[in-house]
Amino acid sequence: MHDLTQEALAQELGVTRQTILAIEKGKYDPSISLAFRIARRFGVTIEDVFTYEEGS
Amino acid sequence: MKLNSFYLLAGVVGLAEVGIFWMSVVQENPFLIMVAFIAGVLILYAARRTISDRREDERSILIAQKAGARTLEVFWILFFAVNLGVAVIAFSKPLGFRPPPPFPREFPPEGPHLGYFGILQMILLCGMAFLYIGFRVYYARKYGEWDEDEE
Repeated sequence: MHDLTQEALAQELGVTRQTILAIEKGKYDPSISLAFRIARRFGVTIEDVFTYEEGS
Repeated sequence: MKLNSFYLLAGVVGLAEVGIFWMSVVQENPFLIMVAFIAGVLILYAARRTISDRREDERSILIAQKAGARTLEVFWILFFAVNLGVAVIAFSKPLGFRPPPPFPREFPPEGPHLGYFGILQMILLCGMAFLYIGFRVYYARKYGEWDEDEE
C-alpha cells in the first residue's frame, strides 16, 4: 500500500529491520516513542496502528 | 571503526591480556594484570563507541538488559554462597595478625591459598558468561531476532 520495505521503514525510524518484523509479528511491543514515530510516519493515530489487549 | 575491526581488536587485546597474565605470574606481581585488564576493558569500551556499522535499537537494548538482569538474579546467590563459604574458612583459622610478643615458635598452619579462591571466582565468572549468552539467545528468540518473513 505504501510501497515501503521493512528495511527502508527501519532506517527511517532508526531501528533494525528485525524490530519492524518483530512488531509486525506481535513478538515485540514498541516503546511509546517508537509507536508515535510509526503512526506519524503513516499519517495516522497510534490507535489505528496498535491495539491494546488486556493481559498481553 | 567497522564491527569486524572491533572484533579483531578485541582478539588482539585478549591475547595481550593472556601474555600479561603469565608475565604477572612469573614476576609475582598481581597489579600488572589488574592494571592491564582495566586498561584493556577501557580500550574496548572506547573502541566500541566508534563502531560505525553497529545496528542497535530499543529492542536489542531490551534483550541485553533482560539477559543481564536474569544472569545477575541467578549469580548473585551463587557468588554470595561461595563467598560466605570462603569467609567461614577464613574466620575459622587465625586471621594472620601478628600476635603480641613473645612470638610463638611455630606459625599456625597455612590455610587455603588465596589464589585458589581467585581461580574459583574465575570459574564462576566463566559460568556467568555462558549463562548470559544463554539468556541472550533465549530473549533474542523471544523477541524475534532470527525470524524471517516472506519479504
